[in-house]
Amino acid sequence: MKVKVVTRILEANERIAADNRRIFDDSGVYVINLMSAPGAGKTSLLERTIKELNKKLKVAVIEGDIAGTQDAERIGNLGVPVIQINTGGACHLDANMINEVLGELPLKEIELLFIENVGNLVCPAEFNVGEDMKMMLLSITEGDDKPLKYPLMFQESSALILNKIDLLQYTNVSIDKIKKDAMSLSPSIKIFEISCKTGEGISEWTDWLVKKVK
Amino acid sequence: MHEASIAQSVLDIAGENCKKAGYSRIDSIRLRIGRASGVMTEALLFAFDAIKIDTIAAGATVIIDEIPVGGICGNCGKDFITKEAYVLCCPECGGLSFKVNAGRELEILDMEVS
Repeated sequence: MKVKVVTRILEANERIAADNRRIFDDSGVYVINLMSAPGAGKTSLLERTIKELNKKLKVAVIEGDIAGTQDAERIGNLGVPVIQINTGGACHLDANMINEVLGELPLKEIELLFIENVGNLVCPAEFNVGEDMKMMLLSITEGDDKPLKYPLMFQESSALILNKIDLLQYTNVSIDKIKKDAMSLSPSIKIFEISCKTGEGISEWTDWLVKKVK
Repeated sequence: MHEASIAQSVLDIAGENCKKAGYSRIDSIRLRIGRASGVMTEALLFAFDAIKIDTIAAGATVIIDEIPVGGICGNCGKDFITKEAYVLCCPECGGLSFKVNAGRELEILDMEVS
């Protein structure tokens, strides 16, 4: 006997991500899942962004790392709510890890929540956590071959920030190649060029962000 | 990726549908899996064989229809299908304004029960 089913297979992570999404939507929180390789400057970007937003948006941060609390301490120094998740070895954050800490955040008082994923160009892109937008940070010193070598992360991202452009003159990296390849993987991707060190490009990025969230 | 968790969801959904239809044994389950879904079919089959023991799907085989990545090009207007998991330009004309509309499927199509 044949039984027609035609049902999407949503695995456990997708179901919990949908629960998280409902909780975020009910509280009116816009959620960004920030992904990059280790050392690209995720925490520096958040520090710059939070300072630049300076009360234009109420921000909170969830920090994901395999071990350590350095990132949460840096964000905590800026006076915004922050929670550190230590994955204890796991190479990405999943929806359940986020779900477990949601009760610790004052969601009703937050407009924008950054989830800083574990530094890794592969696995974070495969796990939704209930975010409104995935975005990616690539430091130009990582090389212009990254979009084609790690396509999923670029394909999943709605925004791409190129960091450390103050170092461009010391490399043989082609920003045009990065942009072209990223846009062929994600045609509507929004690309920003910044330097967290010098502050170049930060206000263009935050202006766009404020419009996106409000 | 997370094939074990997907296998468990397949088993849950199939089991529910089997019982709802008034049967007690699943003989086969047919899945549609897109090439760009991120699922490794071999890992999925391996995981399913491990978790089906002592369930109503203990004797079930899983049949996978692999769906290639396909889309439509905004430049030449042609529909295309490719063997690649990622499309960087239209395989017909090389154009960059295209829409991928197939290849990310992950669903249970039907099953044989008795």
